[in-house]
Amino acid sequence: MVTIVTSEAASSPPNARREGGALWLRNDELLASTGWEIKPEGVCRGEVCVPLPGERAEALMAERDGASWLDVAGFAEYVGQTSAHDAATDTWYFGPGPEERRGHLDMLDAPDFELRDLEGRTHRLSDHRGKKVLLAVWASW
Amino acid sequence: MITVGCDVKGAEVEREYIEAARPEHPSLLDPTFIVPELYNTRNVPAVFWIDEDGWIVRGNDPVYATRRNRETGETTINERYLEAVRDWVRHGSRSAYLTSQLETQRRVGATDEANDQAMAHFRLGVHLDRNGHHEEAVAQFKAALALKPENWNYRRQAYNLGSADEYGITMQEAMQTVGPMYAMPLELPEVQST
Repeated sequence: MVTIVTSEAASSPPNARREGGALWLRNDELLASTGWEIKPEGVCRGEVCVPLPGERAEALMAERDGASWLDVAGFAEYVGQTSAHDAATDTWYFGPGPEERRGHLDMLDAPDFELRDLEGRTHRLSDHRGKKVLLAVWASW
Repeated sequence: MITVGCDVKGAEVEREYIEAARPEHPSLLDPTFIVPELYNTRNVPAVFWIDEDGWIVRGNDPVYATRRNRETGETTINERYLEAVRDWVRHGSRSAYLTSQLETQRRVGATDEANDQAMAHFRLGVHLDRNGHHEEAVAQFKAALALKPENWNYRRQAYNLGSADEYGITMQEAMQTVGPMYAMPLELPEVQST
């Protein structure tokens, strides 16, 4: 069984297939597990679409059983997403793409985030827009 | 003010500190290290000043509001830093404590491919450890530390989830081998208080 971990969640898409270094996900499971989706304009997540040129598309996308499939491991490498793999448990981690990692900090535009407090209430940095925010990162260790 | 606690064990280890502080600001839990990834921090503490429009105007200060003397156990308030914060609150963009855009970028260290890849190994390691695959987790933490030996977030958390023995190097030895504990120096200008 393949497990896919992102910074948001972990999931085990039942139809995932591993072939060598490739990890094929059916489009519906691709969207549910990674947020990416194959569309006519390319492989998209939110507002971002990555068009795949001919040869890349041939290598990374496939039509099987009446559905579109993407090799997410190959795609991550192509777009420069960080990733890690544990072979023993067949667990894969896929991180943010370069545009998500760098877009904000190069501009010093404070990246938004959503986290919970002890009571489980959700807070976003952007809730505080219009006020100064002192953001202090700490740990118990 | 927003505080973000970075412990993979989350509320289990942070609750006592947060409840003792009785915060009136959002005090948030970040067990998967989302903020260290977004803000490129490698140790705690790390403090960022974000203005009304959402721009980072000062970043990665290694300070807590209080300082504890390790020998005497005495706690003192970090007055000099608090005064800098008050100055920013009073004077906003005219505060002499704000750093230039270039300086802030240097301190925040915007691009670091190795650190980003190390975060992938770290995240996978945390997931594996939580799901009962400790041995596999250690392999991922080792991969993260091989890429970023000076990232103390990773090293401390990895050691906390197991033991230093698994890594063949103690925290003390690591400090000697990879250099001093990573921290951006605190650089505050001398400012006449107003």
